[in-house]
Order: sequence, then C-alpha cells, then structure tokens
Amino acid sequence: MTVQKSDLLQGTLDLLILKTVALGPVHGYGISQRIQQVSREALQVQQGSLYPALHRLEKRGWLQATWGESESGRQAKYYRLSAKGRKQLQIEESEWNRLSEAIGLVLRTAE
Amino acid sequence: MEWWKSLFRKRALDAQLDSELRFHIEELTEANVAAGLTPEEARRKAVLEFGGREQIKEELRDVHRVSIVESTLANLKSAFRLIRKSPSFSITVIVTLALGIGANSAVFSAIDAILLRPLPFPNGDQLMELRQYNPKTSSPRTRLAPVRLEDWNRMNSTFQAITGYYTEDNSETSGILPEKVTVAYVASRFLQVWGIAPALGRDFTSEEEHFGGPSAVLISDRLWRRRFNADPNALGRKLRVNGHSSSIVGIMPVSFLFPDRDVDLWSSVPVDEPIAQSREWTWYLGIGRLKTGVTLEQARANLATVQKQLGIAFPKTDADLNVQIEPLKEMTIGGVRRSLWILYGSVSLLLLIACTNIVALLLARAAQRQHEISVRFSLGGSRTAIVTQLLTEVFVLAVAGAALGLLVANAASKVFRALARDLPRVEEIRLDWRIVLYSLVCSVLATLVCGLFPAIRGTRRDVSSSLTQASRTQVSTRNPLQWLLVGVQVALAVTLLAGAGLLLRSFQELGRVSPGFDPRQVLTFHISGSYAETANWKGLTQRIDRIVDSLGSLPGVETAATDATLPGVPSHFQIELKFAEGQQDPERKIVAESRFVSPGYFATMRIPILSGELCREMADSTKSINVLVNRSFANTYLTESTVLGRHLQEVPASGILSPGEIRGVVGDAREEGLNREPGPTVYWCTGASGPDPFYLVRTRTEPMAMAETIRQRIHEIEPARSVFNIAPLTEHLDEAFAENRLRTVLLAFFAATAVSLACLGLYGTLSYSVNVRRREVGLRLALGALQGQIVKQFLLQGLGVSFLGCLAGSVLVAAFARVLSGMLYGVSPTDVTTLLGVVVLVLTVAAVASLFPAVRAARVEPMQVLREE
Repeated sequence: MTVQKSDLLQGTLDLLILKTVALGPVHGYGISQRIQQVSREALQVQQGSLYPALHRLEKRGWLQATWGESESGRQAKYYRLSAKGRKQLQIEESEWNRLSEAIGLVLRTAE
Repeated sequence: MEWWKSLFRKRALDAQLDSELRFHIEELTEANVAAGLTPEEARRKAVLEFGGREQIKEELRDVHRVSIVESTLANLKSAFRLIRKSPSFSITVIVTLALGIGANSAVFSAIDAILLRPLPFPNGDQLMELRQYNPKTSSPRTRLAPVRLEDWNRMNSTFQAITGYYTEDNSETSGILPEKVTVAYVASRFLQVWGIAPALGRDFTSEEEHFGGPSAVLISDRLWRRRFNADPNALGRKLRVNGHSSSIVGIMPVSFLFPDRDVDLWSSVPVDEPIAQSREWTWYLGIGRLKTGVTLEQARANLATVQKQLGIAFPKTDADLNVQIEPLKEMTIGGVRRSLWILYGSVSLLLLIACTNIVALLLARAAQRQHEISVRFSLGGSRTAIVTQLLTEVFVLAVAGAALGLLVANAASKVFRALARDLPRVEEIRLDWRIVLYSLVCSVLATLVCGLFPAIRGTRRDVSSSLTQASRTQVSTRNPLQWLLVGVQVALAVTLLAGAGLLLRSFQELGRVSPGFDPRQVLTFHISGSYAETANWKGLTQRIDRIVDSLGSLPGVETAATDATLPGVPSHFQIELKFAEGQQDPERKIVAESRFVSPGYFATMRIPILSGELCREMADSTKSINVLVNRSFANTYLTESTVLGRHLQEVPASGILSPGEIRGVVGDAREEGLNREPGPTVYWCTGASGPDPFYLVRTRTEPMAMAETIRQRIHEIEPARSVFNIAPLTEHLDEAFAENRLRTVLLAFFAATAVSLACLGLYGTLSYSVNVRRREVGLRLALGALQGQIVKQFLLQGLGVSFLGCLAGSVLVAAFARVLSGMLYGVSPTDVTTLLGVVVLVLTVAAVASLFPAVRAARVEPMQVLREE
C-alpha cells in the first residue's frame, strides 16, 4: 500500500513520522526505509508526501533538525523529536488508539 | 520573527533542500547497486523511484512560504479588526503619531535640504570658497584681487578651476523706465566651475572674456520671464546696464540661484581689463572646484605653497597674504545650523512625548486585554507570536499615523518655508521620497518604542495570570509605570516650555531696549550705482550729496542721509586706528567700529551731539575728512574734552581714508545690532562710502506713504537710476531677527503642543485609574466618605506626579539652557522667574486635566458599582 496524501488523513502520516523519529535521530531516507520495513512493506511513503510533512513538523517545533554525517559518509539532515513533539506524539497516539478502538467497536457490532 | 529570517535566507534554504533530497537519491542508488544493478542503472532507477524532484522542492518551499504569508496576513487581519473594534483608541494613537511624525518630518525636510544635501550643483561638495587673508590687519579676510585669482588658478594643482564674482545693484535702461537689476560680475571659467550650462543659449566665448571684445550677458530665468515672457527669441537681444549695452547670449536654468536668489544678470569681467591689473584691488569672492579625490587639507596646503611663491615674486603686495579655503556649503548655510538642530531636537522631544503617551495608552489597554492574551497562551500560542501580533497592531497604527503625518508635514513644511523665507537654501525644501522614507523609519521606530515594552510586559505569563485574578479581587490596582510615563512627559514638556519661555523673554527684553536712535518713521532704500563710479570719488560724492539734498527738501521729509550699513542691523566693520598727534602707547590698541555716514545721519536717526559740533562733508574724502566719535569711544580712549580736534588714522594706512579730524562726540547707539552693547564707534562723515549706500529719510507721516514721491523725485534728477528695496527701517530691524523669531515661534509652538500632549497623558492615565478603582471608590462612598475627599485624593495624585515631573524637568532645563545660551538676550539661561512661571503654568494645566477624572470619580454611584460585582 502506498501512503498518498489523499489516502490517509494528514495526521496519520504525521503520527507515523513522529513515531519513527521517536526511536532516535534519523534522516528522511531512513524514515521512509523504516516505515517500509516495520510495516513489512505494507506502507510505502511517497517522497512527495514525506518531505513536506517533515518540514511542516519541523516548523511546528515538533521535530528538530541537524546536519550530520551518515553511515555512508555523506552530509544528511537528521530529524529528532523535540520535547513538544514527544508530547504531541503521546496525544496523537492516544487519539489514534481511541479512534481505531472506536472504529473497531463499530465494525464488530455491525458484524 | 521566524518570517523575516526565512525571507532573507531563501537562498540558503534552497541549497539545504537540494542537498537533503540529493542525499535521499544517493542512498537509493547505493541500495540499488547493492542489489546488483550497474551504477548507471541504479541511478536511473533511483531517480525514477524518487519522483519529481523539482516538484517536491517547490512543495517544500511552499511549506516555508505559506507560513510567512499566513502569519503576517493573520496578524494584519487581526490588527485591522482590533482597530475597527476600538475606533477612539485607534484614532487617538493615529492622530498623536501623525502630529508627532508630521512635525518631525517637516523639520527634517528642512534639515535635509539645508544641512545634509550637497549644494544643488553637480558634485556640489567639490565647491570651495577662497579668500585672501592677511593676519596682520584688523579685518584680515578680504576679497580677492583679479590678477591674484588668475595666478592661483594657473599655479595650483588641486583645483579643476578657480573663478570669482562680485555683485552690484544696477539699473537696466533699455526699457521706458530704468529697472533695478542685480548683476553678478564674474571672472573667466564661471560656468565651468559650477558644472552647469545655460538652459538656453551658450556660455561666454573667449572673445567675450577679453578686453575690447563683444559684451555679453547671461540672464536669469526670472528676468527672462519678467522681461521677455520666456520668449526664446530673447537670445541676441540687447540690455543696457550702467550705460553699457550687452547682448544676451544665454538663459540660466531656473534652479541656478548663485550668488543669491536676486541675481538677474551674469556679466563677464575681462581678465586683461586695465583696471583689473592691480594686485591691491580686491574685488572677487573666489569659488573653486576641487579635482576629484582631492581633500580640503591637500587643497589648503597646495594653495599655501602657491601663495608663498607669489610672496617671493611680489614681496610688496603678496608676502603677508595667506589663502583661506572653506567648503562653499559651510559658507552658505553658516549660522543656521545650530538653530535647525535645536528645532530638530525640540521636535524630536515632542515625538518622544507622543510616543510616551501612546505607551501609557497601550499599557492601559494591555491590562484590559489580559484575558484575551491568557486565552491565546492557553491555546498554545508562543510568546514571540503574541508579541509579534501586538507589535503588528502598533505598526499598522504607526504606518497610518505616518501616512497622515506626511499630510501634516506637507502643510507644516509650507508654514516653515513662509516663516523661514530668509534662510539660505529654503527654496530647496521639498517633500520627496527621502522624506517619505524618513517618515516610514519614524513609524518603525515609533512601533518599537511604543509597542515593544507594553507587548513584552503584557505577555509576561506569571504577571498576566496573576493580574487577571487581582483585578477581580483586589481593591485597587497600582500602576506606577504609567505614572512614571506621565511624569516623563511632564518633565519633557517643562523642558521645552522653559526653552521657549527663555527665548520669548529675550524677545521681550530686546523690545524694551532703548537703542539710542529712533528707528520709527524712517524710510530706507537704495539708488542704483556702479563701482565704476568709484574711479572718480569727487564726482560720486557730488552726485550722492545732490540726491541727499534734493530728498531733504521734499515736502513731508524732515531730513535725509546716507549710511553704508543700516543702523540696528547686525554688521561689523572694526578697524584699528591711531592718533596722528602725540605718542601712542603700543600696548593699547585703538579698535573701533567704523561707520560711513553723511552729516544728516545724526539728525535723521536722532542721535544727539553731546559736545563739539556736527561734522561737515568734504568735497574729496580722500584728501580730508571729518569724523565724530561716540561717547563710549571718547571715554575708552580719551576724555570728552581732549578728544576734539585730534586726528584719527587707519592702521595700517590703506591710502583710501585720509586722517579724520574729530569734530564732536555723539551719544551711544546700538547700531551694530539691538542685542549688542554699543562699543567705541567712529563716524566718518562721507555720504559716498560706495556707489550705492543706504538712503535714510525721516518722514513726517507713515514712511511708506512717501515712497512714490521719492521715486518720482529721483526720476526727475537721475532719470537713468532706479530706486529699489524701499522699506521702513523698522522692517529691516524685524528682519534682522527673523531667524531668532523663527526659532522662538516654532519652539513656542512645539512647547505648547508638548504641554497639551502631557496633559492628555495625565488625563488619560488618571481616567484609567479612576475606572479601575471604581469599586474601591464606591465602597468608600458607601462607607461614608465625602465626595470632596475623593476629588482631593485623585487631584493630589495627578498634581503630585506633575510636580515630580516639573522637578525632573527643571534639571533637564539646565542642560537645555546651555544649548540656548548665546541665543538669549537680557535673560540668564537659569532664569528663576521663567522657570517658576513655566512650573506654575504646567501645574495649573495639570490641575485642570486632573480635575475632570477626579470629579467623575466622586460622582460614582455606590449602589450601582456594588451591584456590578
């Protein structure tokens, strides 16, 4: 499945990014790889969605970015979670859990 | 302030985006290589997989751009909404700023045009005035001999060219009636030095600059319009000046007003004219244009060397001479610099008061808006964002104020030009983009000065939350800061008012001075004459005597006389003298003002003869001359009894004045300026001090009523001469203090505005305080307090702050008065009466301003207020 702007709520991509970045400083390429791996290739984030989202989150102050050297020896922009972002991640995570639980409930009762 | 950073870092941002995306593609490529593809294939696949790189970049730019536009737009929108919501507050702020910025911009436009801009000629800063200077004489700075000017021009290496000029009021007689024209006689290279070409026609040719060549003139745009209705065919027409016919070869641009705005004609003086060959004749004011890159010091050193060489070549005439070089701009604007800066300082203080006023208003408003601000905080707004928002509001108000201020400045600048029409360069004052820019800078500064502090203070989170609580539960809210601001305003207003008061007192004192002569009912005028007439002093003396006699015999005229300079109009002509007979004490120099007057002068000006007799006019003043001295001269250098009959000689002898015999002693008069004590003065009795002295006529009735009679009489006896600059002496005396008056009027106006603003601030703050404390007042009234007590309490609060402001202001006055000293007359800079008057005035106005809110406080209905709770 490909995560497109239209496919998923904007907040979902943000949540995925925040969660991925929470594991430690990582660059854009790393984020897309990790989401792909962790979701067992189920979710494929388009570059055209990933980078605007990263920059938006950075502007909002949820992510902090620094330039550093990658494992391959190139200059890369690393994102890490800010204190604000960590709080936001908690909020969004619980929101998502509530929402998916609620949807699950509806689906189950409807069966 | 995120937005402007990203605005200015656009390029840096782009580079960052690029390298971030490139990294991604490179990593993809590497992964593909690892998967077994060839490098080229790996790369192509990576690029394909990544998708539209430019498109992504554009989207990323959007992320950054949108936030700039969004936040600014949102801030502006909410600013406009708030302005609409509280129109009275907004209008108060806008009008206050409009007055403050407008007045400031108007004075700045004058400073800009007169002091800051280079002269209105190409590379005006290269233009220098040159004089010859003989430190061994009593009036060392003199005009320049034509031959010496040519020497300087030829021998120097620092000037592009040096030229010179002198002016003369003459008659032009090609029309039916003689018309007075002001002629500037100029040396060669005149237009070359200015870097200006005639608007129509051409410069002088080299034939026209040589003796015996065709005679040519350039005419001013003014004369061209006046005489020829701006007809281009005026070129080639003839004008007859001083009995000498010349063709018009060029018409100067309208902006060319040199040496002054009255010049009608420029006429070239041939270098090789026989009369111009003496090294002792001093005619010209020298003007030179520096070569590019040459400094004033280099030019001075260079010309000093040149003059030293001339001193060796012509030891008799040139050995003692130095060269004095000053920027022409300095010579033009001269003394007005200080006046203008004082006005600018005052008007800036006024703007500061206006800003202080607005700070107080904003503080009061911030207190009202605490609820709104804490809501925004709780919604997660950052402090920077809220401060930016608050500043945007003030900025919108300030820009509106500045725009309105430009209209004010336009009007104010017209008033200024009318009041200051005698200042140099005043015609160059105009409102252009520099002034618009200046107003804009003013509004940005005003935003920061007015807005920053209230915004930062209003958004202090601990304070804002605690204060929202406090206003509900506490009895009264103290706001010492607002009172401090009111005190500052009062202090500044007192400073300005005291300055204005001192200037007004000086004026009053000047009016009270008894000048020692009677300027009322005296008409003054000129009759055209040419320096060429001075070749025959005897004839010149006869001509002027004949005119004076004829004027004196007119019905309605009491007496008539001539004087080289007008009495009471500041002038200086001090020369060193010695007594011809007896031993001279070499330690005791005799220095006296010299005036050149016809014998009728003393009766005309009603200066009494104390001893001796009236002087007589000699037929040839170069052979023998009578003098009178004033009492101060007699008392300083001799005694009244021994002074008569002695002879005075110029030191060093110029050969023009013969030793003068002292015939009598007259009373002291303030002829060198009404503001100056009369000093030792010598009157040389000759009507013919030059070709064109001032004529003074004492009339029996209103002086201007005689103007036409006088003009007719002169036309009868001297048909080729024109009569001009007819004005009562009192008008000249007024004009002599025009700059003084301008200063005083404007400063008084600024001071009055400052006091009004300060009182407005006091009124506003006290009203606010009354509003906040309504509950407390209601409670006290309910508990039996008398209305009088409430009024007294608030009144005393207002007066107390004003009084402290006055005290602080008095300290500031001491500093301000030091700036004014030298402009004051008959009043000390630390005059207690003036200061007390100012304090009483300010306290009275402050009492009135405090009374209204105080009375309103006392009228609070206790029941109503308590019910509101």
